[in-house]
Amino acid sequence: MTSLNSFAAGEISNTQIPQLHGAGDDKTGYETKYYTTKSKALTTRVGKKTDLLSLIKQPPLGLPNVPIPANNPISVEKIALGRKLFYDRRLSLNSTFSCAMCHVPEQGFTHNELATAVGLEGRSGRRNSPTLFNIAYAEKLFHDGREDTLEQQVWGPLLAHNEMGNPSPGVVLRKIRTLNDYNGLFENVFNKPVNMETLGMALATYQRSLNSANSPFDQWYFGHNDAAVTPSVKRGFKLFRGKANCIACHTVNNDSAVFTDHKLHNTGHGFSVSTYQRPKKQRLLVAPGQYIEIDSDLFDSVSEKKPNDVGLYEITEDPADRWKYKTPTLRNISLTAPYMHDGAFKTLEEVVNFYNHGGTPNEELDPLIKPLGLTPNEIQDILAFLNSLTGSNVDELIADGFAAPVGDTQ
Amino acid sequence: MISKETFTQFGKTLKGVMLGSAVALSIGITALPQQAQADETCMSPYMAKIVGQEDYIYVWTLGAVGVGDEQDKLVTVAANPKDKNYGKVINSISVGGRNEAHHSGFTDDRKYLWAGGLDTNKIFIFDVHTNPSKPTLHKTIENFVADSGGVVGPHTTYAMPGTMMISGLSNNKDHGGRTALVEYTNAGDFVATHWMPTDENLNGAKKSGQFADGYGYDVRVLPRRNMMVTSSFTGWNNYMMDFGKLVGDAEAMKRMGNTVVIWDLHTKQPKKVLDVPGAPLEIRCAWGADKNYCFTTTALTSRIWLIYEDDKGEWQAKDVAAIGDASKIPLPVDISISSDDNTLWVNTFMDGKTRSFDISNPHAPKQVFEQQIGKQVNMVSSSWDGKRLYYTSSLLANWDKKGENQDQYLRAFDWDGKKLTSTFDIDFVKAGLGFPHQMRFGSNALYAKAPTSKSADAIIASLSK
Repeated sequence: MTSLNSFAAGEISNTQIPQLHGAGDDKTGYETKYYTTKSKALTTRVGKKTDLLSLIKQPPLGLPNVPIPANNPISVEKIALGRKLFYDRRLSLNSTFSCAMCHVPEQGFTHNELATAVGLEGRSGRRNSPTLFNIAYAEKLFHDGREDTLEQQVWGPLLAHNEMGNPSPGVVLRKIRTLNDYNGLFENVFNKPVNMETLGMALATYQRSLNSANSPFDQWYFGHNDAAVTPSVKRGFKLFRGKANCIACHTVNNDSAVFTDHKLHNTGHGFSVSTYQRPKKQRLLVAPGQYIEIDSDLFDSVSEKKPNDVGLYEITEDPADRWKYKTPTLRNISLTAPYMHDGAFKTLEEVVNFYNHGGTPNEELDPLIKPLGLTPNEIQDILAFLNSLTGSNVDELIADGFAAPVGDTQ
Repeated sequence: MISKETFTQFGKTLKGVMLGSAVALSIGITALPQQAQADETCMSPYMAKIVGQEDYIYVWTLGAVGVGDEQDKLVTVAANPKDKNYGKVINSISVGGRNEAHHSGFTDDRKYLWAGGLDTNKIFIFDVHTNPSKPTLHKTIENFVADSGGVVGPHTTYAMPGTMMISGLSNNKDHGGRTALVEYTNAGDFVATHWMPTDENLNGAKKSGQFADGYGYDVRVLPRRNMMVTSSFTGWNNYMMDFGKLVGDAEAMKRMGNTVVIWDLHTKQPKKVLDVPGAPLEIRCAWGADKNYCFTTTALTSRIWLIYEDDKGEWQAKDVAAIGDASKIPLPVDISISSDDNTLWVNTFMDGKTRSFDISNPHAPKQVFEQQIGKQVNMVSSSWDGKRLYYTSSLLANWDKKGENQDQYLRAFDWDGKKLTSTFDIDFVKAGLGFPHQMRFGSNALYAKAPTSKSADAIIASLSK
């Protein structure tokens, strides 16, 4: 049997985890002529294995108990197997795409560098890759909430033509059976070989371990450490649950918070995208600080037609569900740009401004979405609060991802 | 006849030619060049060049959904007017999959053509010497990513003495632009990975300006100056993405290369990172023995840049000319330098035009000719004498024009210094082949059989006289 521990790509030796979050290819300030690169070396992208089991058994401060399906109990071996699968590029049809190519650890387990995903052979995705931090708590999966459990969800990307591109479950399972480094692993964990069920269970269990909290907010609100956050954060939280009423959808309980009501809402953003009329001219950033104003139709000849997106309606075919999308968690929100289901907003400030203006009016606009009348100072306080939601263990989880083996054709 | 120009770059004399032959014989090669061979002007200096007529064009062609067998293939076209099949496809070898077929290059002995797939990271090695009219798939390198420590997107396959230098475009961690050069032996065994300099690890290089992005694209050498030079494009996320989607994604548009790196050719250590903003792509170095410069063009900012050694021995980058109307983003793609270093052909993808620049003063190129080649155009290959030019159309599978805006072709022209005269034209979609990308030339005379009655020693002895 192959040992999972033998596949660590590289480990950092010190016990202190350095700051790892953020794209290794930082382009902050690229819009200006003063931009300078701050690129990290790939050779130093090494990590440190962490105790993922304990993050399920005892999630960090601020998170409730992790829901675990009765038929898929957790174990160290199962997490390790799921982790190995998660980073294995061979799981796609042409062996170029793992789950981690869209859910990049240092990019908030999402993709900071793309508004909407790019899949097998460069095929276009319509939506932004959602973060996997705290995905264990999601009662609905995908932006349109079409899936219920992580165990089932994993087959969506594996089989989607524009994601990992496998034509059938059988193709995936046969491939894994031929890979020597999986010899005996499923049998050891499940007492049976890889099949649709065990593959889903393994991947789900790893994702169920990506729990991150004990943020400054948690230390203050749930840990009663008054010094953990600034007054601005406290004012922001007061606005969050008061004047701005964000809490109506981004729920907070007495002893824990996942910051989502697990429901889908029409904020008007989807409507505005579907009915968008582009201007005749647009500015294109062609180099640091260098813009060129171009005719908007300049690239029509090299563009596929942008697919429409009507949200939950596509699942229910109920007109009342047009442009409804799932409420995302707010934990680690400062690490998971860009925002909204299509990655249209690059910054949290854009998001808050959107809601401050009452979203975009349309027939199915959620009654909770209305102009908020927030002042600029109040917006800054809400941003301070949102930025206080970064878990204390994000770098530990990223380091664990770095230490995972990347499956490539050997 | 082997041209003198061919070898001036090395400073080689006739002795150098003989040494090359002796090496070839010593490793068991029975063929011996009997005639000087012509080839395009953009090849590695570590191989014999040609001044005569090419016999074949090998076209590394992308498979396309809905076209023929939908997979990548090496297409051979007869290119000698004396051939009864002149201007026709005479061979096609399918390799399986759509690998994002892109560039290709011969080994220094010109026996094998290495052709990379930017998506699947496979490198297909074709035997082009056993029967130059009918290449065969000799070997496929499938473990490029694992060998190299995570490099994705094998782009330029460039002949070095006994090895192939392969420039990567991306990596297997974030599919972004940080990448490396990867070296293999001619036999296909991994040798080393040479990472592009980043801010965190410049690896001894000097960051001369604001940028050290760690990106890669093309690689060229000037052996006389112990210099290797690389350019920078973008990572897998962007080069595989639909082009319209890319230009509409402001964040993705920030992930474009802005650097040219000067390397120590001998040690493979980066020495200096130069700022060349706007995605510098192809690099072409001058052939003249006293010309210490190369050209590159920036795809997004539509400029010609000169990479030159100044009178203090420092390598510099200088913006020397505009290409078309930058506000229309003509998108300069392939370039080709003439063997006399007086002309630079520049293709612009979006408007489908080829442009000729007089570069007799490399610091002040002047456009002297312009012609539409097709609805889109990408690669250009020139014969050594500059009298024949070949054009292909495809840039990247998802960057090419769509529907009726697209044409996919190999178009051949004669060039008399003033005008292009069409000689043949192949519609690659109508022929069920796919989207044609890079062209490399082949010749029967390259692999002419040595007289069987003579031993290798006798051949060397005869050459020494």
